Amino acid sequence: MAVAEQNAPAIPVKQKQVSQSYWSLVWWKFRRNRVALIGGIILVAFYVSFVFVPEFVSPYALEHISDYVEAKPTRIHFVDQNGKFHIQPFVYGMTRKIDVVARTRTYVEDTTVMYPISLFVHGDAYKLLGFIPTDLHLYGVDQKSDPKAIILLMGSDALGRDWFTRIMIGGRLSMMIGLIGQIMTIIFGTVLGVASGFYGGTIDLVIQRTTEFLSAIPDIPLFMALAAAIPTFWTPIAVYFMLTVILSFVRWGGLARQVRGLILSLREREYALAAKSAGASDSRIMFRHLLPGTMSHVIVIATLAIPSMILTETALSWLGLGLRPPLTSWGVLLQDAATVRAIHTTPWELWTVPFILVIILAYNMLGDGLRDALDPYGSR
Amino acid sequence: MSEPLIEVKDLHVEFDVRAGVVKAVDGLTMTINRGKTLGVIGESGCGKSVTARAILNMIPRPGKITQGEIIYHRRRGKDGQAGLDDIIDLSKTETDGKVIRSIRGGEIGMIFQEPMSSLTPVYTAGVHINEAVSLHHLTPVRKVGDQIAEQVAAHRNVTKEEAREIAIKMLRRVGIPKPDQRVDSYPHQLSGGQRQRVMIAIALSCEPAMLIADEPTTALDVSIEAQILDIMRELQETADMAIMFITHNLGVIASMAEEIVVMYMGKVVEQGKVLEIFRDPKHPYTQALLKSIPQLGKKKMGERLASISGMTPDPFNLPTGCVFHPRCPMFMPGRCDKVAPKWTQVAEGHYASCLLYEEA
Repeated sequence: MAVAEQNAPAIPVKQKQVSQSYWSLVWWKFRRNRVALIGGIILVAFYVSFVFVPEFVSPYALEHISDYVEAKPTRIHFVDQNGKFHIQPFVYGMTRKIDVVARTRTYVEDTTVMYPISLFVHGDAYKLLGFIPTDLHLYGVDQKSDPKAIILLMGSDALGRDWFTRIMIGGRLSMMIGLIGQIMTIIFGTVLGVASGFYGGTIDLVIQRTTEFLSAIPDIPLFMALAAAIPTFWTPIAVYFMLTVILSFVRWGGLARQVRGLILSLREREYALAAKSAGASDSRIMFRHLLPGTMSHVIVIATLAIPSMILTETALSWLGLGLRPPLTSWGVLLQDAATVRAIHTTPWELWTVPFILVIILAYNMLGDGLRDALDPYGSR
Repeated sequence: MSEPLIEVKDLHVEFDVRAGVVKAVDGLTMTINRGKTLGVIGESGCGKSVTARAILNMIPRPGKITQGEIIYHRRRGKDGQAGLDDIIDLSKTETDGKVIRSIRGGEIGMIFQEPMSSLTPVYTAGVHINEAVSLHHLTPVRKVGDQIAEQVAAHRNVTKEEAREIAIKMLRRVGIPKPDQRVDSYPHQLSGGQRQRVMIAIALSCEPAMLIADEPTTALDVSIEAQILDIMRELQETADMAIMFITHNLGVIASMAEEIVVMYMGKVVEQGKVLEIFRDPKHPYTQALLKSIPQLGKKKMGERLASISGMTPDPFNLPTGCVFHPRCPMFMPGRCDKVAPKWTQVAEGHYASCLLYEEA
């Protein structure tokens, strides 16, 4: 081999040796999976718009209370009454009609006034990313010239707040709880799983019996007990943080067990022995040499588990055990839509559901793609 | 002239498994001298690898050193001054403690049989070498003329560029072509021979006083094997390093070692200079081993290759007396199965443990 290369003809062959690292192979394979790529793009778009800039995407501030209470979604028009086509879409004004007998409140379009919808309009002031003061919004109608102008893409709630704005802002907490909770689960699960598999013996026994104990307790009562233990005087943010800790605390067991299984086989590899004979300490062998071998598995498990984390938050908040108003999350929003009356009279409050569905499907698409891509040497 | 580096004295290693106690190493005594090569040969399962692991205090559970000592003459400073030796009993060091970890890799390096799986798949060759260097706080790069910097250098971390230079230098030393490109290669991009070279580079990067080579060429084909052996011999001369070379390949040992230890069932049965043992083997086991080497031109067509009759005994139920007696062609009934043989000098610097050479 070496001899052959030395005896090779002295013609300089310019050939750049590209070192294909594991991750570049993974990326190469992942790119070819269109479904996973779409899932990934949706997720990136969702996280950017819901977590970082929801105030910009939504036309109003969360506290913006309009006169239009429980209004149905505003219709967007291109063609006006006279059959004239407008390139710039517009909405009509709304007038309230109160039926005293039926005790209902309805809104009808007032076709005499037209408000064109424009991009990048000035509206309620807010701080972009928490520190850049601005009043720009992605879309909206000019409120400065006519205070009655309003656009409610997904209707409004019982206080007259724009439902779309509430979904945007609520998405921040719901989507972050899945991500942060999952990161904490990964930390708990891998550290305990690696220690359990590497040391074996008593440590293994204690950790494994603990996970069994935790998984033997039914989820909902355990959440109820833990959520009830959160002091009521805590600030909403502290409650939120506590809830992520609770979620990951209950869920690390499965991951720890899988990591343990992987470590049990990896620690018998010669490279673990080689690292030991080079003078590496236990923690170095565990986390520098063995842990990377489990990472592809952990990433897939984690990606596929985030949706269940989001759903758990939604379910808990819906039950009133998780986040509570004044915090806004998708679970809190669904609580508003939880009555028969709401479904009957204000069905647009169910707009939260498609958002939850899309993000969960996107996660599953991405997770499946990652599972195939992270094994780049496999067939398929 | 020869100066002992490692003295193994009456070492016993036992594995307490469910079916009973296996004596993997049973009263082994041997000496490895500074800068010399000691060959250890024997069948599979005779305790060669366990002995190597015992020296680094790395016996896998449930194995345990139950008796004996492994004396390591540690030389402080690499300037080669005599009389500065520390004496450490490696078998008594705390498992995975600081002392043994600084010796592993730093002073006693080890390379393994399976180059295919001895490198962590997620790291490049360069990262592997740098890890070994950084684990032992070594900084081979020193600035000439700056004595203060030199003193500081003993515990300072090397920069990225320096670390890369060291790695490339090491790869060049073990004869890897295009070391400046190979330094960024992942294990799966290297061939078996290259991986074994990287392993040797890792082991040598800390300039150890001894290298334990546990069947380093068994998994390689013969042409690569010859290259690896050449490299090891060459590096031994330049680095003044002792090698404990474990193998079951008698041809390899003949070209590598100065002295040979023949092991059978956890015991040393014969020891001596390599030429002596090959020319005039004393122990019947060694004689049988040497007879089983196929030789060109020595045998007639159709003649069968000699083999050692019988099977290795059940490790839970070792034979009484001399452990080799059930397979021995010189079996003396009434003696070999009753009396355990003693360590006897049969010629100058040539020892065997066989009742043939003991006075009745």
